[in-house]
Amino acid sequence: MLDLMTVDSAGDLAPAAPATKEALLGRVAHGDQSAFGELYDQISPRVLGLVKRLLVDHAQSEEVTQEIFLEIWQSASRYEPTRGGASTWILTMAHRRAVDRIRSSQAGRDRDTKIGIRDLAVAFDHVAETVEVRIEHERVEKAMTRLTQLQRQAVSLAYYGGLSHSEVADMLHIPLGTVKTRLRDGLIRLRDELGVAS
Amino acid sequence: MTRDGRNDAEQHPADLAGAYALHALDEHDTAVFEAHLAESERARIEAAELNDTAVALGLAVAPVQPSASLKANLMSMLASTPQLPPVPASRAAGPATTDAAASVPGATSVVPAPTSGGDAPANAAPSGAGLNRPVADIHSRNGAASSTHLSATASERAQTRWFKRPAQFLLAAAAAVALFVGGTFLGQTLNTNQFESQQASGLAQINAAADSQRAATTTADGQEATLVWSNKLGISAVLVDNLPVLPSNQDYQLWYINGEGAASAGTFDSSGDGTAWRVLEGRMRAGDQVGVTVEPNGGSDQPTSNPIVAFQS
Repeated sequence: MLDLMTVDSAGDLAPAAPATKEALLGRVAHGDQSAFGELYDQISPRVLGLVKRLLVDHAQSEEVTQEIFLEIWQSASRYEPTRGGASTWILTMAHRRAVDRIRSSQAGRDRDTKIGIRDLAVAFDHVAETVEVRIEHERVEKAMTRLTQLQRQAVSLAYYGGLSHSEVADMLHIPLGTVKTRLRDGLIRLRDELGVAS
Repeated sequence: MTRDGRNDAEQHPADLAGAYALHALDEHDTAVFEAHLAESERARIEAAELNDTAVALGLAVAPVQPSASLKANLMSMLASTPQLPPVPASRAAGPATTDAAASVPGATSVVPAPTSGGDAPANAAPSGAGLNRPVADIHSRNGAASSTHLSATASERAQTRWFKRPAQFLLAAAAAVALFVGGTFLGQTLNTNQFESQQASGLAQINAAADSQRAATTTADGQEATLVWSNKLGISAVLVDNLPVLPSNQDYQLWYINGEGAASAGTFDSSGDGTAWRVLEGRMRAGDQVGVTVEPNGGSDQPTSNPIVAFQS
């Protein structure tokens, strides 16, 4: 898989490379609607995938995805390409918005009773479809195995379940302070395993 | 939600770093942690790294193709959706000698680069933009007192990375920064820290509220003015760009105005450049008007002049 990717990306045979998301965002900041459309095509499946991972309901997830892209349109001028990838900027915004939706509506509670805690805690229940996603998926999954089970559970509930730290505490019947520690230690371990550094 | 962990959070805000990166904090703890970030470079580095780690979790999720109608809808909304103005080039190319984030663009396109370092905590979004959250860029002088001599590249990167944090992060941090550098509150030396952190925390809470709203207008003299508020929390804040300095015998005074009349919501002064802002005292009720008048030093019981700016919440 890796070899294939390398050949593909290095070859001159590839058609004109699509504009980077960073460049597209720069154009979006100046009101370029076609750049916005292109950016949307590139990253909306990731945004919707993440939002739907949290919200479960498809229609509601599309609604939130629409809000996210409107925010991208509105605030693109605040993105600085020299300071990090466009995907990071966008996915951070997407997760925040999905969490906001869960907290602000009955939807979150309905969802929780519908699917239950056990499913929320399962971090990886989708079959990855593309090479890129598969690689990232496997990398993260491997890193997740380096966490203690308790850390993994807390991090998954918070990130994929969209639960607040006090909700995690309630669900797991552990003190809030313990949840904080698990979330922080768990993320630090993940950071080190994934080689994320500023 | 209100239990023993609360005091704990205030005593050890660093413990919140993981939950913060996972968006697992409530409004209160978010404000506490962001106040901590404004003070600690090390915390900002960690926050940036943990944020990236969280994004890696997001990138591991299988993509889902949206329906075709979603794109069509969006594209049709663009023309009528105002954008935040591009950042002026002069602001984006500031010298990086004094601090790592000198090149961070200012908040609004209309604020000239102040030499004092006073800077704007929040932009004035196009009115009716429908932004749930004010988007803010900030000028980092927050660490100026303690860390300008540190030139570690890691800290520089963290500084710059910090500024691409999402809006709610920026606004809260900016609020704290503005308190130190904006000049607006520099005269208030008694209990300054407590006052500052209350103010910063108030602004952060408004901004983080699920029902956060904003209204933009201009003052009688044409300065851009913004009201941000949360009906749920019952608090609001006024931000005005380049509000003129008043003579020492006068103050700006804030008012909540409704059918029962005008109630004072505190006084403030302005350094004349950057953004003067203030979280209003007292409780806001849905539908209240908010006004700013110029009053004799110390404020008045009732407005004695026409408002320089008024908002309908």
